Amino acid sequence: MPPLIQVRSLRKTYRLGRVDVPVLRGVSLDVQEGEFLAILGASGSGKSTLLHLLGGLDRPDSGNELTMRFGDVDLTRMSAGKRDAFRNSSVGFVFQFYHLLPELTVRENVLIAAMIALGRLRYASQAAVLKAHAEQLLETVGLSHRLDHKPRELSGGERQRVAIARALMNKPRALLADEPTGNLDRETGKTILDLFTSLHHAGQTMVVVTHDAATAARADRVIRLRDGLVVQEDPDTPLVGAAGGKR
Amino acid sequence: MYQSLLTRRYLTSQIMPLLASLAVMLCTAMVLIVWSVMGGFLATFVNQGRVLVGDVIVAWPNIGFAYYDDLAARLEQDPEVAATAPIIEAFGLVGLPDGRQETVRLLGIDGARYAKVTSYGDSIYWRALLKPLPKDAAGADWRTKKEDHDIYQRMYDNALTMKTDRLVNELQAARDPARRAAARPGAVLGIMMSGFNSRDPAGFFMPRARVKLLPDGTKEWVETILPIEDSVTVNVLPLDRKGRPTDMVSRAFPVINEFHTGLYEVDNKTVLLELGALQQMLKMDAARRIKTDATGAAGRVGGVSKTAEGEKFVLPETVGEDPARITTLLVRGKGDAATARLEDLRARVERIYAQFAADHKGEVPDASSIRILTWEDQNATLITAVKKETALVLSLFSFISLTAVFLVLAIFWSMVSEKTREIGILRSLGASRAGITWLWVRYGLAIGVIGAALGLLMSYLIVSNINPIHEWMGARMGIQIWDPRIYYFTVIPTDLSAMKVLIVCTGGVLSSAAGALWPALRAARMDPVTALRFE
Repeated sequence: MPPLIQVRSLRKTYRLGRVDVPVLRGVSLDVQEGEFLAILGASGSGKSTLLHLLGGLDRPDSGNELTMRFGDVDLTRMSAGKRDAFRNSSVGFVFQFYHLLPELTVRENVLIAAMIALGRLRYASQAAVLKAHAEQLLETVGLSHRLDHKPRELSGGERQRVAIARALMNKPRALLADEPTGNLDRETGKTILDLFTSLHHAGQTMVVVTHDAATAARADRVIRLRDGLVVQEDPDTPLVGAAGGKR
Repeated sequence: MYQSLLTRRYLTSQIMPLLASLAVMLCTAMVLIVWSVMGGFLATFVNQGRVLVGDVIVAWPNIGFAYYDDLAARLEQDPEVAATAPIIEAFGLVGLPDGRQETVRLLGIDGARYAKVTSYGDSIYWRALLKPLPKDAAGADWRTKKEDHDIYQRMYDNALTMKTDRLVNELQAARDPARRAAARPGAVLGIMMSGFNSRDPAGFFMPRARVKLLPDGTKEWVETILPIEDSVTVNVLPLDRKGRPTDMVSRAFPVINEFHTGLYEVDNKTVLLELGALQQMLKMDAARRIKTDATGAAGRVGGVSKTAEGEKFVLPETVGEDPARITTLLVRGKGDAATARLEDLRARVERIYAQFAADHKGEVPDASSIRILTWEDQNATLITAVKKETALVLSLFSFISLTAVFLVLAIFWSMVSEKTREIGILRSLGASRAGITWLWVRYGLAIGVIGAALGLLMSYLIVSNINPIHEWMGARMGIQIWDPRIYYFTVIPTDLSAMKVLIVCTGGVLSSAAGALWPALRAARMDPVTALRFE
């Protein structure tokens, strides 16, 4: 069975002033449908950039050997409009700092992904179904009692759960998470990871970028990035976390 | 869909859009108020110009022209002419009851005919008023007193006949039976002319307490309207048929009414007299033509003659009659006062006058000399000046209102910076560049709509109460912006039409959207990854 995500020779260089700074220097990886992949790496190793490229938020450097496929879609040949639609419906992002819209309620923060996808008329015609879906997602993440609250009224863990519900609203094929527990205490982080695990068990494909060993430990497979290159890709390799755990 | 949701939330959760709306509101209100007052000034000026002139005038100033009844009859046979009115325009001195002498413009009119050609009937001030004026809640206007309605009606009738008959006979006889007089010509004064009336903020006039000189030289304080018992003395300097001044003529006229056009220059400087009376004073009435010698003197052909029977007084020989003259014939056309119709009417009058002049060759000014003008032509200089001034002032204020564009731009620029991360979030959720642009432009439009609506409300409240506001400013702060001696009208005229509202409000909304456009494009061009990392 072909992988859901297939990447070969992925490069990305940022220009800082007059200096070119290569962040990714030829990354290759596959992610199978339903797989939970963790990407480990130190700060500055390029793991967030890799996640942004996989989710269509950013464009890679061009190259003859470059391959970047998501299902049947060639990400390197996508127009801007198709890239927008891809971000909206094929992937769901979860960020370290939640990135909720502060003026909207919890329910509206989840629904906004559907609003962007459908436009006014189609959204209005399906509003009741979509609201029910959003409320069911919020119930899944344990926030059915917080529907009309604003993000500032929630704790960090609750905000992250809203972000996860929002990422799942349009039923994406892959969930892309960037340090999802990086801003949470250990206990709250564990709750989020439990949620990820249950989603994974429900068949959700997930790519999680982290430098936290506990997060990586939940994954089916772990790859390690160093200086823009995959330096280790072995599910059986013992891992040692920053706190002195397995390496 | 998400744009409308976010626009609503941004509008209700931040102070910045409120400030932008206030800027649009003030600019919209400013332009609307200025346009309304300037437009009202122009419209009132143009309309009032027609009130006392009619549509077309045939004029031969000062000396006047004869056979005007023949000309009027010819004109009234034309299917496009509704009515004509002969008048005399002259200048004179008017002695008021308190001893003042004022220089005025005199109009000799036939009241009934003048009312058919102009709006004179509507401008007669002292008349029975069945309903008080809208702002006269207390019913303080004397004209609304039912017990006096009969007397006011008679004053009104007298203003149409320009004679004092019944009213003066009864009122003056009641005070002094010796003054009972036969019907005699009277004077109708502009309401501001005497200075004895003051305008109430509710819009009506009340008499001021004043000193009156009595025939025995003593004075008394009176507080009543002029037509009740007062007279004015009119002094004119007649010209002979060749335009040479002759001896000054004075005559007392009872005041039979006053008129109010709203045009300060007219209401302050005009006295209407009965046509025949003014013709007599100016020596423009019908007269015998006597035989003169070669020098034009009558004495050599008349006077004292010595005969065999002794000295005998010989009257100059009558050789004909000089017909009465007027200076102006006013013509009213049928239908509206559209410029095209006025020009057509003038052309018709010119043709008729040409035939009239040919039939009275040598006795009336010829067709190439006589002045035949529309009322617009007559006021063309001032109307054009006011139109140009309106356009200039409007342009300046519209230009000033461009500050709203830059104010909205500055506020939106700041808001886009503040919302950079949210823009990144929306882009990560799949919002397109066009969608982000529309979000901010729509936001600008919403601010424009709110600002324009508030501006419209503000301008409506100010424009509809501009005179009370002005009077209040005068009373409390001593500020008089609108001086009727400069601006012609006793009240500030306004004209807030639907078209002006539409144009200005649309301009306000589009200005706001224009101010939002650049920040909107900036927001749309943001790199989503950079935006998400924005601190």
